[in-house]
Parts: sequence; structure tokens; C-alpha cells
Amino acid sequence: MSDQTQDRTPADLATDLRSAMRLTEISKHYDGVAALTDVSLTIRPGEVHALLGENGAGKSTLMGVATGSVLPDGGTIEVDGEPIDSLTPARATQLGIAIVHQHPAVLPDMTVAENIRVAVQADRLGGRRAAESTMRQVLDDVGSTAHLEDRVDSLSVAQRHLLELAKAMLVKPTILILDEPTAPLGPESVDRLFAWVRRAAERGTAVVYITHRLAEVRELAQRVTVLRDGRVRGTAEVDTITDDELLALIVGRQLEYTFPPKRPDVVDAEEFLTVEGLSGKGFNDVSFTASRGEVLGISGIVGNGQSDLLRALNGLEPFTGTVRIGAKDHTAKQLAHATAYLPADRHVEGLMMTLSVRENAALAALGRFRKGWLLDRGAEVETVGAELKDLAVKTASQETEVSALSGGNQQKVVLARALLSRPKLLVADEPTQGVDVGARAEIYRILREVSDSGVPVVVASSDAKELEGLCDRVIVMSRGSVVNTFAGADVTESNLIDAAVRATSRTKSKDRAVASTSATGSTRVGRFLQGDYAPVLILALVMIALGGYIYAQNPRFLSAFNITSVTMSCAALGFIALGQTVALLSGGIDLSVGPLAGFVVVIGSFFLVNGKSPAFMALGIVLMVLASAGVGAVNGSLIRYAKFTPVAATLAAYIALQGLSLLLRSAPGGNIADGVTAFLQLGVGPVPNVFILLVIAAVVMECLLRYSGWGRRLRAVGSDEGSARRVGVKVDRTVVLGYVVASLFVFLGSVVLLVQLGIGDPTQGVGYTLSSITAVVLGGTSLLGGRGTFIGTLLGAGLIIELLNATVFLDLSQTWQYLFQGGLIVAAAVIYGRVRGARASV
Amino acid sequence: MASTDGAHGSSPRRTLPVLSRGLWTVLAALALLAVVSIVFAPSSMSSGALQGMLPFAAVLAIVAIGQTLVVMQGGFDLSVPGSVSIVVVIVTHQAYGNDAKVLPAALMALGVVLVAGLVNGFLIGRMGLNPIVATLGVNALLYAGVLGISGGTPRQTTDLLASVAGGTLLWVPNSLLVAVVTVAVTTLVVKRTVAGRRFEAVGANGRAAWATGLRVQRHRAGGYVAAQVHYWLGGLLLAGILNKPTAYQGDRYLLPSVAAVVLGGTSLLGGRGNIAATAIAALFLTQLDQLVLALGVNFAVETLVQAAAFAIGVALYSIEWRRLRERFARSPGPVASPS
Repeated sequence: MSDQTQDRTPADLATDLRSAMRLTEISKHYDGVAALTDVSLTIRPGEVHALLGENGAGKSTLMGVATGSVLPDGGTIEVDGEPIDSLTPARATQLGIAIVHQHPAVLPDMTVAENIRVAVQADRLGGRRAAESTMRQVLDDVGSTAHLEDRVDSLSVAQRHLLELAKAMLVKPTILILDEPTAPLGPESVDRLFAWVRRAAERGTAVVYITHRLAEVRELAQRVTVLRDGRVRGTAEVDTITDDELLALIVGRQLEYTFPPKRPDVVDAEEFLTVEGLSGKGFNDVSFTASRGEVLGISGIVGNGQSDLLRALNGLEPFTGTVRIGAKDHTAKQLAHATAYLPADRHVEGLMMTLSVRENAALAALGRFRKGWLLDRGAEVETVGAELKDLAVKTASQETEVSALSGGNQQKVVLARALLSRPKLLVADEPTQGVDVGARAEIYRILREVSDSGVPVVVASSDAKELEGLCDRVIVMSRGSVVNTFAGADVTESNLIDAAVRATSRTKSKDRAVASTSATGSTRVGRFLQGDYAPVLILALVMIALGGYIYAQNPRFLSAFNITSVTMSCAALGFIALGQTVALLSGGIDLSVGPLAGFVVVIGSFFLVNGKSPAFMALGIVLMVLASAGVGAVNGSLIRYAKFTPVAATLAAYIALQGLSLLLRSAPGGNIADGVTAFLQLGVGPVPNVFILLVIAAVVMECLLRYSGWGRRLRAVGSDEGSARRVGVKVDRTVVLGYVVASLFVFLGSVVLLVQLGIGDPTQGVGYTLSSITAVVLGGTSLLGGRGTFIGTLLGAGLIIELLNATVFLDLSQTWQYLFQGGLIVAAAVIYGRVRGARASV
Repeated sequence: MASTDGAHGSSPRRTLPVLSRGLWTVLAALALLAVVSIVFAPSSMSSGALQGMLPFAAVLAIVAIGQTLVVMQGGFDLSVPGSVSIVVVIVTHQAYGNDAKVLPAALMALGVVLVAGLVNGFLIGRMGLNPIVATLGVNALLYAGVLGISGGTPRQTTDLLASVAGGTLLWVPNSLLVAVVTVAVTTLVVKRTVAGRRFEAVGANGRAAWATGLRVQRHRAGGYVAAQVHYWLGGLLLAGILNKPTAYQGDRYLLPSVAAVVLGGTSLLGGRGNIAATAIAALFLTQLDQLVLALGVNFAVETLVQAAAFAIGVALYSIEWRRLRERFARSPGPVASPS
């Protein structure tokens, strides 16, 4: 290994003694394939150390080892001179190791400030007063123009990256790893980022800077290490090594597979595929042509618009410009029907994993097997079988579930589907990613054959060696634009990498970069409308208007008796709905709240009856609380540990609790003690204390939700579980606790219900499940989790009760109750969804 | 079958396409239940008891098949009670005592539930609403209709409907025959037509279906409409089987329909639907009721047994063991992505 390396001077060795982190002879294998072999790397305090290498060279694996997310097979890790036995992400954080991921771990439903608070310990932000200015300062430092109260899902990709940087900066790490931080940034942001990285290094932070771009290495780093095929190819001072020397270290991978012969050179070949001035989201003014039989490659560093371009070519995303196949221009809609697409992520966009090989392969060609109304099973089996045989797909049978196949064979099934659809254009994104060596050669052969048969083939790959072997013509993309085109003998790995890493173009800011326009434009009114409290205002207005109307029709509406009755009903529903809100905020749902309320009432009806001692009654209340908490714990555990869906888990609880209620009491019985009833009906004027308690509870919960760590963690989990986990939230614990809290609110609701019913009735309470969901939806809490308010839920519950009451006073039939309820929930869900810009359901 | 040559590397146990795991499991459960019934409560397996039980099993089976179609799209249909109830009240109230009006009333009911299905489909497929919210709202609207038509009072069913839906053919209840035909037709449509196969694919992986060029929203919405046709058929039968159905007859079908879907092995996450298995599971659940009734135990026990059956069903199927295993095998995976 590392033959050309470690030409160390004695001075180097001396400074090496002062290492921030030293990785020695790290090895890592995946399924017998070496990802890292004997990699040694020393990072010094105060230096910017660039890590260079192609995709798959092992950079990310190495940094995974350094941050504790990957356990190495062999080797040692030293941090600040101390050997670390087993590095975990938590330990790494303690040691001051921070990483800025390529994909920011941000929570879309939360504000910028909340994202920072949930990820960064409070003491890093200074006191309560100082926190805001600290955060503002850091955001300014990294060049973010986002408002602290902006919701993150309204930010551009670039702004999200800057937020991610700001979070790392606030941690004041001793070792900071930046994984291709400039990819989505505009020029101004890049300059700011570089200035900031330099300042951090001056303060003594050891910075590891992963990149593909030589220009950035030159501008920023003092030392550079090149990885290739999981081995260190060299470490050098940046000043002492030339670009050509670096390139020589990067390229030259050894391949264990072969490519089919390329198309022989044809003179005056007709242009078969012509793309002119194609622009869309993520790419800009792309033009290229390919003649019949040419395989066209798209090279470049991952995430420079290649995938976006391919989607446009496949008609999945809108574009402007011309796509001509043969002599015919195609619109996006036509392309969607006429082309076939091999997505980079087979699991997400390629295959229906639970369906069979046959069903997956035949999907795009079903029209061909139509015979009358039905499909001709024989023809389907025969055609699919022939295609599978052509592609040499290894499967037990056509009926095998596709998830049982190896990665390479799965990819061939996607290919079979594409070919069976008889496309006019075949577009493949990273066609050999996660594919074993043997299958690679076959996939290359198939792509070449398709091309030979006269269907244009476009292949995007981050592996330049692959494009060198496969393609007749390659365009190189950087930041969404074509920076170079190679054809024939010029299609070489070194040319492609050279073009990609030397590209200096920076992202066109109008596309996706520095959001000096988009995010800063947020106004106070805009933020309010986008925010959680708009529904509260709407609900309050509706309630006042409705109340005024009813009062005008019938003044008894505001009689003391009616106020008591309405607020009492509202208290029962309100508490249960607050619990439901907790479940929904965590991204789940609790269908068991209604039967649980009924069950708790039944328990109470054995204890809180006339003639029992206070101690016995207290025991009853303790049991009611324990039963509630227990149900919540069971719900949460089923969801988190047994992987039930929230609907399934709480539905099981729903049925079981009904059974338990009936088991305890087969018929209504157990009159609630007069003293208990009287106590709970105490109040201020006509308003019972329990209602006042409900309002207080809602306000307290609201404050906890906004300003406590618990509230932020709950919303973080509901907003994006993966990101929440990455910023250090204990997801399982948060969710289980959430269901326990939800059930405890149901307990409070059932206490009120106890008074209202006055008897233990096993069949009561069930209806609260649906009305609690209605109340929460009216209040503006999202069923997708992550955003909502308790105040909104309180008003939602109030509105439902007011409506029920209205039908009495306005002398409307029960029909109207249902009409109002149904109309309201649908209208609320549609309106709130529109205002926020509904998230795509696909 | 050209591809059967290279059998290595994949498990051979997944080669039975017709009898899915769900069907096997639920058939075994049914057989076990039959044995238990014969041993402990022979009266529940008497000819008369079966004649009484089967029509209700048939109705539940048909309704549950509708729910299956929705669950296949990863959805959830809370409008079952409203739809079944409104069909019942339309045919009992509109055609009260007049056989000639049965058919027009049935068609009117079909029209109403189709509108409900279209609204569900539009709200969920197009507007991106959560299925629970949308179907909850539509259910309330349907109940408004139920009350508007019936005022909440039950009415005697018509003779014609009683003789058709409640009648028998060679000792076999007509409703059972209808259920069997429904299973056959729906299975055929889902498994053997272009639309059905696309429908299943959209449910299994919407994003992949989109990348293949399928119209995802339309297929999603279609599931809710097709489900309503099943609720209609179930409601129609129910209106004939019961002498005097209440106005809220659909109430008791929501939870059992979901339970039958889950026991039949259709994942609540969407994907492949086991239509025949859902129907058998409906039979299982109905006979379970009968057994508990015959044993004379508390009604509560029956509910608890249902809950247990449901939970075991979910644990068996919706925990995706294979995916779980894969996830563990891949768990150091985030680093495998290219840098």
C-alpha cells in the first residue's frame, strides 16, 4: 500500500505527536468486501485536512469510524492522545467530535431556533436572554439569512445546510468533519463558509474537509489525504503536491469486471437523441446529442444535477427546452409514457418489494398481455420468462418475492420491466450501485445490447471508470451545468475526473442556492399564517360568531345552567383531546382514548361510591391513574418495540379495553358518590373548576411544547424521526412517554366523565376517540406529526361542544350535528393543508 | 417458466402463489376453531346455528373485502358504518313495503355510496388528506344522511329483499353465494386485470409506481370507490337478512372489518391484498362470536378474544420480519452510501 506516501520529514513527526485524532490501521469489511484496509490518518489541531477520493473510495466509511457510527473490524482510534476502546456517537459527541452531514439533519416542522435548541445543549447558547442573540450571531456568521422563527420546511436546501453548519459551530467542536459542505451553496455562502472554517482552525479546531474539488483543497487545506479503493494513497502538504500528482493518486482503480466492446466509429452518424437547452429544477441549459448506437454517459460528482436531469428526460419532472428522439420532439407527458427509467435507489423508487418477480417485471407492459377484459396469464408468464432468461436473472421462480433476490438480480428485474415496456429511451441512474461484481458485467452487456438495438441509452454514474468502460460519449456536469463533453477515445477516467474536480463553477444562485431572496422575505404575517396559531384565531372567530348567532336566537344559551353544562362537557372532551394531541404530535395516533376513558370510569365506579372511606377512594384513584399509564405504556411499547403501526397498536387496545370494561361490569352499575360529584362540580360562578383546570392544563402544555426540551423532542420525533435520532433525541423513549402522557390526560377526562355519567357504564366513552381526533384536527394539529398546538385543540373541543349545543338551542335535528361535524373536519383539514402547502402524498 | 434454472440463493418456500401465507394461516385458524367448536360447544356447529351464522359472515366478508382494497393503498376507511347504514336505511325506508321500489332504492343507495367513495378518493388521493380524517368526516356526513332519511327509526324490510338476501339455495344461504362470487370477482379484477395489477403495485410502492409512469392518485382514489361498492353490497344483503334492521346497522362492522383484513394477512402498510383470506377471516371472526355465545361466557370474553386475535394477527404479518432482518444485516449501512 501507500507506496508514494509518508515521505515525512522529522518536523512532521514532531507535530504528529500533538494529534487531535489518530486513526491507526483501520480496516472495515462489508459482506467480505473491503471498504477500508489498514487506513492510518492523523489529524492535527488547528489544521484543515482535506480528504480526497472518488465515490466509493471509503471516505464516508472512514468518517463513520471517526464519529462512532461505524464499528471498525480492526485498528485503533486515539483522540487527543487517549486510546478509545469503542467509539459510539454519544462518546464522540462528548469528545467534541462533530460532523456536518451531506444531508442536513433538520426538522422541517420546527423553526430555525427550535432546530438549534433541540440539537445543541442549552449551556452552549448562554442564558435565556443570551440564547437568541447567540443563535442570530452564529447564523450571521455562516451567512444564513433565515429568520429564527422561520419554519425549516420553508427554507431552501442551501439555507438548511447553513443551519446545519450553524449547529456544528455552536457545539464548538475540537474535531469538525465537513462532508462536501459546498455542494448546494452559492458563491457568497461558500466564501463565508471558508472564512468560518479558517477561523475555526485558527482557534485550534481540527477540521476534516471531505471534497471532490481540487480548487477547494488548494484554497482551504494545509494537508491532504487521498483514498482509493479503501486504502490511503498518500498524505501530503498541499503546497508540496501538484494537481496532476493528486489526480494520479485519485484515479486508477482496479476493476474486476469487463465491459462489452464499444460501438465502432461510424462516420456521419445521424443524431438520434438530441437535447437542447434543457433546464429544470437542479440543472440548467443542458445540451447534448447522441447518435444511434451510442451509450451516453453523465459524469460528475454526485448531486450535481445528474439525477434531476435524468428524471426530466423520463418525463417525471417538468422542464423547458427540447428533447428529440429520432425526429420527434417529446413533451414531459409523452416522455413519461415512452421512456423507461432505472432509478438509483431500487428500494424506494424501483421495486415493489412485497410483490413477486413476475409482477414487478410485467408492471409497465401489462397492456400487452390484455386479452379481452383479463390478462392472459400464459402470455405474461412466457414473455416475462423469456426476458428474465435473456437477462440471466437468478430467481427460484417468477413467483418469488423480489426482496429475496440479490441486489444485482433485483436490478435486472428493474431492467426487465424497463425493456418489456419497449421504451424509446432508456435512462439509468447509477445502474450498478449495490450490484455484485458478476452482475455488473451482465448489466453493462445488456445496456450495450439495448443501445445496439436502436434505443438510446443514457447512463449517469458517479463511477468514472464505469463510464469510461461503457460509454461512447460522456457529458460532465457540475453544479447543474455541463462543463465538458468527451467522445470516443477521450472518454477516460482521468479526463472525466479531471473535468469534474477542476470545475470551478459554483451553483447558479437562481436555482437552489443562497436564499438571499426566498427566506428573508418572510414577513410577520406570513410567518403567522404558516405558523401553528392561525387555526386558533380562525376557531376563536368562528366560535364567537356562532355563539353570538345562537344567543341572538335564544338568550338562554348564556344562562348559568347552560354555561355549566357546556363547560363540563367541554372539560371531558378537552382533556381527552389534549391527550390525543400528544399522540398526534409524536407522529402517531391513539385510537384507544375513548374506550380507555370508559374503562377508567368503570374502575372508578367500584371505588368512588357512597359509603366508602376516603382511603378506599384514594386507592381507586391511584388504580385509575395506574391503569391509564399502563395502557399508554403498552401502546407505546407495541409501536416502538414490536413495530406495530400506531393505528394497529391502539386499535388492539381499543377492542381489548372494551372487553375489559364489559368484564368488570356487564351492565351499568355503581353510582358515583354524591360527595365526589359535588366536589367536581364546584366552580367559580357557573364555570366548574374542572374546566378552569382544563384551560390551565392546555396553557401549561402549550408552554412545555414550545419552550421545554420535552416539547421540542416530541415535535422533533413527529417531524422527522431519522433527523431527530441523528441530533441525539432518544426516539423510543420520547414516543413511549408521549403515549403515557396521552393516557394520563384521558384519565383526567374520565374523571369529568365520571361526574357526567354518574354511574359506571361499560359502553360509554367509546365515541370520544373520534370526537377527540376531530377536535385536534380542528385545532390545526397535523396528523403527520410534528406541528400543532394544545390551545388549538382546546378551542377545537370547545367548537364541537358549542355546535352540539347549538343544535339544541336552534332546534335543529340531530342530522345537523353530523353535518356540522363532518363538514367541519373536512373543511378544516383541507383549508389548513392548503395554507401550509400540503406535503406530497406520494 | 424460463427462469427456474438458477434456484440457488433464494428460498423455495415462497413459490406458492395461490395459497398465500395469510390464507394458510387463517384456514388453519378456522379449522382449529371448528374443532374447538365441535368439542366444547357442539350446538354452535349445528345445521341451524350455521344457517344462522353464515349470512352474517357473508356480509362481514364482503364489507371486509372493501376495507381490504383501502388498506392495500396504505389507507384506512372509517366510513364503513356510515355507508352500510345509509344503504340499509335507503332500501328499508325508500322501498318500505313495496317490492317494486327495491331496485330503484338499491340503485339510489349505490349512487350515494359512490359519491361518498369519490369524495374520499378526492380528499385522500388528490388533496393529500390523512385517510382517517377524510373518512371520519365523510362518515359523519353519511350519518347525517342516515338520520335525515330515517329519523333514527328502524323499518321492516321488504319481502322481496328478505327472500333474495335471506333466502337459501339448496340449504346454502344466498348471501353466502353472493359472498363467494364477490371474492371471486374482486380477486379476478385485482389479480388478473391491468387496472387491478397496477392498483396493487401502487399500494405496494407508490413512489416506484410513480417512477414507472403510473397515475398514483387515480389508483389510490379508485380503492376508496371500489370499497364503497362492497359496502353497498354488504348493506343490501344486511337489509334483507335482518327482519327489522336498525338505522345504525353499520356500526358493528367497522372494527371487525379491520380485524378481518389484518387476520387475512394484508399489511396495514399497504401492498398485496389477500382477498380470499380476508373473507375466511370474516368467517372465523363470526364463528368465534357464535362459539362464545354458545359457551355462554361473558360477552366481554368474546371482545377480549377478538382483541387478542387482532394483536396476534398484526404481530404475525405487519412486523416485516424479512425487512427487519435485512435492516439488521445492513445496519452499519449509512456509510455504504457514496461520499
